[in-house]
Amino acid sequence: MGNDVKRNFISRRHFLRLTGMAAGVTVLAACAPSAPSGETGAPTAADGQVSISWWNGFSTPTVQEIAPQIVGDFERMHPNIKVDYEISGGPPGGGNLTEVMLSRIAAGNPPDTITLWDAPSQYGALGALTAIDDLMAQATDATPDAFYENVLNTCKWQGQTYGLPASAAAAGMFFNTDLFAEKGIAMTRDTFPTTWDELRALSDEFTVIENGEVKQAGFMPPWNAAWLYPVWSVLNGSLIFDAANSVYTVNSAENIAWIEYWANWLDGAYGGNFEQINIAGNWGTAYPNENSAFYNQLSSMFADGGWIMTDIDFQFQWEVAKLPYGPTGTKTASGYWPNWFALPKGGVHPNESFLFIEYFCTKGWETWYKAIPDTPAWKGASRDVVTQALIDKVGEERALDLHRFFLDYLEDAAPMWDSPINAFASDTLQTAITSVLGKAKSAQAAMDEAQALIQAKLEETLRAA
Amino acid sequence: MSRKTRDNLRAYLFVSPWLISLLVFTAYPMLASFYFSMTRYTVVRPPVWIGLENFQVMFTKDDLFWVAVWNTFYYTFISVPLQMLVALILATLLNQSTRGIGLYRTAFYLPALVPAVVTALLWMLILDPRAGLANAALDAMGLPKLGWMHSVVWSKPSLIIISLWVGVGQPMLIFLAGLKNVPKSLLEAAIIDGANSWQRYWRVVIPLLTPTIFFNLLITLIASFQVFTTAFVATASASGATAAGPLNSMLVYMVHLYRQGFRYSSMGYASAMAVVLFLVLVALTLIVVRSSREWVHYEGAPPR
Repeated sequence: MGNDVKRNFISRRHFLRLTGMAAGVTVLAACAPSAPSGETGAPTAADGQVSISWWNGFSTPTVQEIAPQIVGDFERMHPNIKVDYEISGGPPGGGNLTEVMLSRIAAGNPPDTITLWDAPSQYGALGALTAIDDLMAQATDATPDAFYENVLNTCKWQGQTYGLPASAAAAGMFFNTDLFAEKGIAMTRDTFPTTWDELRALSDEFTVIENGEVKQAGFMPPWNAAWLYPVWSVLNGSLIFDAANSVYTVNSAENIAWIEYWANWLDGAYGGNFEQINIAGNWGTAYPNENSAFYNQLSSMFADGGWIMTDIDFQFQWEVAKLPYGPTGTKTASGYWPNWFALPKGGVHPNESFLFIEYFCTKGWETWYKAIPDTPAWKGASRDVVTQALIDKVGEERALDLHRFFLDYLEDAAPMWDSPINAFASDTLQTAITSVLGKAKSAQAAMDEAQALIQAKLEETLRAA
Repeated sequence: MSRKTRDNLRAYLFVSPWLISLLVFTAYPMLASFYFSMTRYTVVRPPVWIGLENFQVMFTKDDLFWVAVWNTFYYTFISVPLQMLVALILATLLNQSTRGIGLYRTAFYLPALVPAVVTALLWMLILDPRAGLANAALDAMGLPKLGWMHSVVWSKPSLIIISLWVGVGQPMLIFLAGLKNVPKSLLEAAIIDGANSWQRYWRVVIPLLTPTIFFNLLITLIASFQVFTTAFVATASASGATAAGPLNSMLVYMVHLYRQGFRYSSMGYASAMAVVLFLVLVALTLIVVRSSREWVHYEGAPPR
């Protein structure tokens, strides 16, 4: 009997082996690239209409309202293309947009188009995006010379273009004209300081320190706004990343001088206790506005992107000016944080997808800009179209003036967002800069270390690419 | 097919969803992580075998790895004993027969049910150096205000305070169950023998509670090494979207791993970090399990 039972009995080991095989098959099946959707017939309907998908991270009520309008306008212009879009703030089904995008690219079923908040140069170097140079060469509006040069460079990696910038969202120096008036300082955009020395002298007029605590600041060097580091470097006559030669120049003499300038500024004007300064105010960002030093009128000047004009409901009068340049610099430069549109690698309708991102990043952006003041990156954008919310806040004439200021300032756009390791470099640089301001390291030592780390990471990326 | 075979098949059929999910969603990713840890892998391109290079870089070139290790050990070795102690005290208090005790038990367990992101944001407001409740309270008592998450010195204690709020509920509930299982007859015998309440607690309750303490210790220890959401949300809010607290003072291990994997697309390196964490947790678990022979007492077990 015992033998009979043994013959028919499925042992635990046998069962586990079978389960393992089944699981292995399941995993392998899941890892296999799906058939291109065009081949399955799903996105291409019998009437020849092509369906493309668009993912993005936008979900605000304004976007919920305007994104369907832009898509609708595009579909009317191209009746053979239907855009399936997602405006819930992430990819369909949830999750982090770029994480899911990379996984879907690896799995072979990416979305056709995507909006990115990190530069296509970085994802292009990863091999995640489709180069669109051939498509741009034949484009009607999105031709290679149709965008501000440095803004389009954010999409380039090793000579190829991996996306389009829809907006450039230029940055400038905002100042609280109510506080200036209280001090009896008459200040306009044209009379605003053009050098750091002048800016510091002006800043000192406002600074109040009591018992070692900063009670009022003029302008606080913005160490927390890491996205603007490349601009401060350019303002002092250097670069963080030399894209043409694929070399980081973090520890250039000018960059070290820039960080020493900030450190001396904190020492001389604000007492030099980095921790106390950090505690005294949220200096580097406008968000959340309840916490922001500029919003709370704790500082009278603040560098940020033009989008804060409508994002933040300032309870005081303000003006905006160009960013001053440093002791070793020679001219102003503008920063910008674009919204980028790209075609993830593996999409099955690149031509139709390109038409969509071309429209969104050129003529379609006008609809966007009417609702949100993200300065267009397309040079063909109208000089007369202004964000309605800005008109509501400051009146039509001033809104038009601000629009043209930011648009013209893009002519001075600094090279930025053009590195394949932008995120790593930015984080490493922030660590270096805060270690100098916190007096943990000298500027030379910190920037040398950062240079070594970032350059090594760049070379590793170049080898992998 | 015999009846026994059919019974076995049926049993395996019922457990197979769990077994398959274990293999697909736990075992396979673990094995894949071991493999990826030996590769340069960016998700999009196929992994390239580089042997032990990721580990070499981690131990010899990545200064932030050691910063993250130090921050995580600091956090774990202070927060775990504190969580255990507070959970035990609360469980002891909630083990009383008082009117409305059910309400108290629910109230003290509620923070464990709040999503970690919400908890982190709530504590960001409480610990805000300028407008937070914590500094308002200190100020009212005539004490100096603290920088909390904006201070190199106070950032990690801030995380530990949050961990107490979030992490005490679960072990408290388990301690409460353990306390309920302490036989009344033993406590009565101790009273007859003249033991005071402290002696009863220390000599009777605690020894009988050691299996529960052991379980809670293991679970809390492992969870503390893997702290992520609170640190990630709090640090991003406190010091800019990408920083990890002032001078990286809140860069815990999992945040560093996340940045490597998902912000820098160095999935091979992140896998290597995961492997190191796994090995450290295995070693610590073995130490705790081995030490338990000396201090955990099971009812009915023969005396050593």
